[in-house]
Amino acid sequence: MFLELNSITKHFGEGESRVEVLRGIDLSVEKGEICVMLGPSGSGKSTLLNIIGGIDSADTGYIAINGEKTADMNEKELTRYRRKHLGYIFQQYNLIPNLNIKENIEVGAYLSDSPLEVDDILKTLGLYEHRHKLPNQLSGGQQQRTAIGRAIVKNPDILLCDEPTGALDYNTSKEILKLIAEINEKYGSTVIMVTHNDAIKNMADRVVKLRDGVIRKNYVNETKIAAADLEW
Amino acid sequence: MKNPLIKRIPRELKSEFGKQLAIFLFFVMVIGAVSGFIISADSMIKSYNDSFGDYAVEDGNFELRDKADSELLRSIEEEGKIKVYENFYKQEETGSFESKLRIYGERKEIDRVDIWEGSMPAAEDEIAIDRLYAENHKLEPGSTIKLDGKELKVCGIAALTDYSALFENPTDLMFDNDLFGVGVMSDAGFNALPDSHLHYIYSWHYNTKPADDAEAKTMSEELIKVIAPKAQLAGFIPEYANQAIVFTGNDMTGDRTSIIVFLYITVAILAFVFSITIDSTITAEAGVIGTLRASGYSRGEILRHYLIVPMMTLTAAAIVGNVLGYTLLEKFMAKAYLDSYSLTTYKVLFSADAFLYTTLVPMAIMLAINVITLMSKLKLSPLRFLRRDLSRRKKKKSFRLNTRIPIMIRFRLRIIFQNLPNYITLIIGSFLANAILLFGMIFEPMLVNYSDTVKENMLASDIYILKTDADTSVKSAEKGQMISLTSEVEGYVKEDIPIYGIKRDSRYLDFDHDTDGLIFSTAYQNKYKLDVGDTVTLHQQYGDKEYKLKVGGFYEYPATLAIFADADKFSELFADEDSMTMIFSDQKLDDIDSRNIAATITENDLTKTSRQLTRSMGSLMTIFLAFGIVMFMLVIYLLAKIIIERNAQSISMTKILGYTDREINGLYIRATTIVALGSIILTIPLANLLLDKVFEIVFRSFPGYFEYSVSPLLLLRAGLLGTGVYIMIALLLIRKVKRIKLAEALKNVE
Repeated sequence: MFLELNSITKHFGEGESRVEVLRGIDLSVEKGEICVMLGPSGSGKSTLLNIIGGIDSADTGYIAINGEKTADMNEKELTRYRRKHLGYIFQQYNLIPNLNIKENIEVGAYLSDSPLEVDDILKTLGLYEHRHKLPNQLSGGQQQRTAIGRAIVKNPDILLCDEPTGALDYNTSKEILKLIAEINEKYGSTVIMVTHNDAIKNMADRVVKLRDGVIRKNYVNETKIAAADLEW
Repeated sequence: MKNPLIKRIPRELKSEFGKQLAIFLFFVMVIGAVSGFIISADSMIKSYNDSFGDYAVEDGNFELRDKADSELLRSIEEEGKIKVYENFYKQEETGSFESKLRIYGERKEIDRVDIWEGSMPAAEDEIAIDRLYAENHKLEPGSTIKLDGKELKVCGIAALTDYSALFENPTDLMFDNDLFGVGVMSDAGFNALPDSHLHYIYSWHYNTKPADDAEAKTMSEELIKVIAPKAQLAGFIPEYANQAIVFTGNDMTGDRTSIIVFLYITVAILAFVFSITIDSTITAEAGVIGTLRASGYSRGEILRHYLIVPMMTLTAAAIVGNVLGYTLLEKFMAKAYLDSYSLTTYKVLFSADAFLYTTLVPMAIMLAINVITLMSKLKLSPLRFLRRDLSRRKKKKSFRLNTRIPIMIRFRLRIIFQNLPNYITLIIGSFLANAILLFGMIFEPMLVNYSDTVKENMLASDIYILKTDADTSVKSAEKGQMISLTSEVEGYVKEDIPIYGIKRDSRYLDFDHDTDGLIFSTAYQNKYKLDVGDTVTLHQQYGDKEYKLKVGGFYEYPATLAIFADADKFSELFADEDSMTMIFSDQKLDDIDSRNIAATITENDLTKTSRQLTRSMGSLMTIFLAFGIVMFMLVIYLLAKIIIERNAQSISMTKILGYTDREINGLYIRATTIVALGSIILTIPLANLLLDKVFEIVFRSFPGYFEYSVSPLLLLRAGLLGTGVYIMIALLLIRKVKRIKLAEALKNVE
């Protein structure tokens, strides 16, 4: 198993305000799978994504990538883990505002020993003519494509996507999802995507539904369709 | 209902307690020091100004070679429209320690004496001496002092109002209250002293006081025309030109202006720091402000809200600073003056000016700068705030950087350009801080260096100016001629310039005697920026005749303004002048009648400037040094902190991406390091140039010349000190970067 989550628990707050966000999550994801996590607000899906990403830590349980457990890692090792294995895409893009588009992608490339060609990525993402612009000169969709470029340029093993279409319109959202599927296809990256949008499950290899910190459903999608054919 | 936003203030103060405390303490330090200074200066200036009337300070004095008879004095009084008073003194070397003491008899009608402690002399062997001279030699009422072999009892510690600054000669560059002092004795005691160094000084009061210095100048010019034909003048000095009387007032008033300007510059820089802080807070809170504006909060309400913290900090600091100013710091500041000047007794007065300058004006500066910055930002529509689109230009464009430059360097450059206003303020603040720090560091070594240079370049160990020609048996002694002419150049103080006639084969001075023109001392050259071939105009001290002297070369003599001429050329040029004989000697001449010596110039005379400046300013230098360091730290830390806070989300994102702390520090802290260290490298030489210019301008108002010289090693040390201070700040910044959480990037920024 490529990604393994075992008995993950997490709480926030103490005393009366203590909230159990994750109540024992067990999950396995194969290499190259697209795993879509669905659930209402407060279900714990973003917290789980952050724990997988090494941004947050679990109270109990462990995560292993190729057998390497993150719970045993100190801060430096966690940094190396993120650097080596992960690419992150956020709803709000989180681009570095004072760097231009190409430089934002180069910031990702710098972290890898064998990054992908930045100009190729810019062309693939349709950003080549915008490469000298600052993020605030681009549309939301273009900014999200830049964020995808930054995430994939280091050719990560896992692409973590936190509501990647949450701030985008219908058509742009579909474009972005198509792009993620293409990347998964082309580079074989494992994609873990958290979303509110139920329709997106149709492009997934694996669907995980969470509610109140517990996995309610976890199944392999036998009727996977192309991202371009998604409707909602 | 009260504006509920007010509830945020205590929380804001609490969350930024360290920063607010540092700013508060800094303002307390500055306002307290300035307020203490103004209070003590104003109290002393008042006492000093009042002393002219209270103690009947003279309008001027003249010295005659011989005692004037009553007929002569009567005619001078009548024609000059003045009242003349005998104010003779005898100047003796003290036996107890190396110094000269100038003693006056009773002064009942003019230049009356203020007693600080003890009483006026009554017995023949009693003397009241100047307070500073007494302090420097640990004398107090009851002590004894030896004068010309005679033992005198100190009965009182006094201030002689015509010697508030202890200038031995009215035209000296600097006074010297260590090697020179003044005292008074009873008339009987005064008469009992030997007459060998008796000076016939006549002080005067005009029958009608001049309205100002311009009128005093005209009146004194008229008066000299009355006296000069009637008697042989050995000196003539109106009150407005007498450094011993006016130096104190000029210095205290000048210091007061400088320190107020310094306060305003400091406040303005900190106000800019505040405005950048507020600007960054507004950017961070754009969404909140947009919501409040959309809900109906006015611009004014938001503006007032963001002004509260800086204005509160300043107000609290002003209150504490003023309290300290009136109590502890007034005494401390007063001490600096009391250690320099022989002031009359004074009372601490409430100063409305201190309140105005240290409280109201800084508050107005702070308010104005912050209101302007904030208003320009708050003019944006609520929608722009809600969209977090606060840039002035519709879309901020990117400028290109060569892609061959490695990404980390380009990243760093972008950070520098992004934070340019912060960095510019940092450079300006650093410049001012470095100027203060450098001043604190260089002052003492510069004085030592000045003193050493003066000693190395002395013409002779002793120079004697004689009243009439005399011979000596000392073989190495060498005679020459001397006259004094007056230099009057616009923008510079009027000063007397000695011109020496030197024989061709002189063993004391080696210069080209055949040059076309005269040889000027390097002090003269540097002060008046002379070049060979220039013409210098000097005129008679007590007459109208002008001399146009051509500069033929320069002689390394860094302490004194002087001109040297070949003896024959001297006689030819100044045939009409009543020149005096002078003797260069490398040893003390004992076979010259001391009554015939008009003046002697020794090492002590030439080094008195550095001695006095060390004594009166030395203790202040530590304060300057500390102040410079604190200011440097505060400005750099506050601005660098803002840069990190502004980029917190990007820093968090780079952490998420997998950048190590070292790499992140390499981006965000190294950018600041480059600017901070660059500003040290840039601003220390600039501060050095500034101080050089300031010294040059300041010393134009003083006779003589003080060379500003700083060794490169000292500049290097100042740079290293700045770097050391920055390293401490960088460690704090590294801690701050480390504390930025990965979750920062996950915050909902919409």
